[in-house]
Amino acid sequence: MSRQRVRGFSFSRTTAVTLRVLTQISRDRRTLGMMVVMPGVIMLIFGFALGGQVSNVPVLVDNQDAGYSATAGTASAGLHAGSAVLSALEANGNVKVTVGNFSAGRSGVDSGEYSAAILIPSNFSQELLLRSTGLNATASLQVYVDGTNPSVDAAVLSALQTSVQSASGASGFRIDQQYAFGGVKFSGLEVSLPAVTAFVLTFLVLLISLLTLAREGTSGTLPRLYTTPLTALERLLGYTLALLFLAIMMVAVILVVGVGLFGVIVRGSIVLLFSAAVLYAFAHVLLAIFLSNFAKNELQAVQMAPLIALPSMALGGMLVPVTSLPSWIQPVSRIVPLYYGNRLFQGIMLKGYGIGQLTTEFLVVGAMAVLFFILALSTVKDRMDA
Amino acid sequence: MGGSALAEYAIETEDLVKVYREGGIRAVDGLNLRVKRGEIYALIGANGSGKSTAVNMITGALAPSSGKVRVLGMEMPRDRHAVSANIGVAPQEYSLYSDLTVEQNVRFFARLYGMGKEDFEERFVEVTRVLRLEGRRDTVVSNLSGGMRRRASIACSLIHNPSLVFFDEATVGIDPVLRAFFWQYFRGLSAGGLTIVLTSHVMDEAGKADRIGLLRAGKLIDEGEPQGLMAKHNAASIEEVFIKLSEKEISDE
Repeated sequence: MSRQRVRGFSFSRTTAVTLRVLTQISRDRRTLGMMVVMPGVIMLIFGFALGGQVSNVPVLVDNQDAGYSATAGTASAGLHAGSAVLSALEANGNVKVTVGNFSAGRSGVDSGEYSAAILIPSNFSQELLLRSTGLNATASLQVYVDGTNPSVDAAVLSALQTSVQSASGASGFRIDQQYAFGGVKFSGLEVSLPAVTAFVLTFLVLLISLLTLAREGTSGTLPRLYTTPLTALERLLGYTLALLFLAIMMVAVILVVGVGLFGVIVRGSIVLLFSAAVLYAFAHVLLAIFLSNFAKNELQAVQMAPLIALPSMALGGMLVPVTSLPSWIQPVSRIVPLYYGNRLFQGIMLKGYGIGQLTTEFLVVGAMAVLFFILALSTVKDRMDA
Repeated sequence: MGGSALAEYAIETEDLVKVYREGGIRAVDGLNLRVKRGEIYALIGANGSGKSTAVNMITGALAPSSGKVRVLGMEMPRDRHAVSANIGVAPQEYSLYSDLTVEQNVRFFARLYGMGKEDFEERFVEVTRVLRLEGRRDTVVSNLSGGMRRRASIACSLIHNPSLVFFDEATVGIDPVLRAFFWQYFRGLSAGGLTIVLTSHVMDEAGKADRIGLLRAGKLIDEGEPQGLMAKHNAASIEEVFIKLSEKEISDE
């Protein structure tokens, strides 16, 4: 009998695994249904349910108020309303104040550094005082706010109103509100779609990948595979390709449901959004492959998906902005993939960012994918448990 | 690949030991096994005697605790990758993808063994014919009977024309008519130069092999041709040989 030779790495063996996994999935109606129906359902539910009180919203305040003193006979009155408003804002838990220049604040809002920039004009005290004496004056504040998140928007405005009132006792002031990002105020679904996209991808990609991987473990086929020329790397890559294909399908479903069905406006490039989603999903495929090395059966595998996805939801800025989280927990958010997914999708969908403004996020997600792959490869079994 | 194609033995093990980390069980305890090329060798013993553990170490699926294994003249586990292309394994469990058809399963393994499309077609027709699976090409494995699954599993282990195959309890749960047919088929393969190692806990089943190794508590307690063993122990069946040997061991302890 002829002796067959084997090479170190075989693409053909790798794709044999890929095709086999995809054939198996194509016969599994339950999993297919989960992939297609769940993204839509979850998006709907979250789209209308999200929102709520937020705190520690980063705002920049530019206090140009010169103060005003008026003398009428022997009586004199002095007012420094601007600094009073500033200290009231600083004491308000809704917002976290940075003092600075208004135009710098505006670009900070555009880049996502701040949620709002507030300008207290130089004549603010004067106008307030004039108003209080019955004169026709308009005391106005300028606010440039990120309207892509209604709860942030509301938190800033309410903080500002209470601060001005407590500082001056006045009620005759006006707030000139301007919205960043083309002046668009988004609908609830639109605002939550980026976060929901990130969450659905995290949850479903993990779940489907872990389930698919667990199937190999429970079918009793692994010991047999160990006796074939298929290497651990080939098996891993074969799975990665198959699961990546499924992940791309899920991304497509989410975008079609969101944009096609609910008419969500994507301000940035759809191609960039799709690429970001695929990269994000890819990182989670690799995370699932890594995790599956520790799951002994389907039940354990299924439990891992919510174990990762639910804390990510809280820490990644999906429920409340990361800036509203306690400061000691905020560094943890920086290692949660969902945080970057959220920023990527928000940036592209709501703010119309290009790749230049999201380089960090792309790089971090890419680096996470590489890390998960290395972890998966270094923990994968290529033999039976001893 | 360091193996010599002319090595006399398809398998040689030297003081092979496997101690499982969990529970510290010595499943294989100093096994010295020699299987000649082209012979049908039956490794028999009760459940838990270490048959599957021994086979798993020989095929490279399990790392030995100590001892040496040479397969087809190549050193295991060092040459594991090279060895794997030339062996076929039908494990005790069916080890098939139950949601795929017979053909999809066999084709998957064929691709892992690097078979081309044309080679596969030709070989698939042949293997399914002798295993009487022709009509089941497109049947999903979960819809097959136990015996059919067993045969589909064997098809996966033979598709790439290996020089050495392992059938772990391959004939368990198969009706007598089919079992007789299997043995006829094994003989044919062996005549063509294929080395077959089979394990069984059904002693008389093994009487049809060229040589038998009797395994007890991870050790080979005797070995030889079926007739020779029966004569040596003055027994009428292999089962009786095994019982006599076991009794002797117990009284020696």
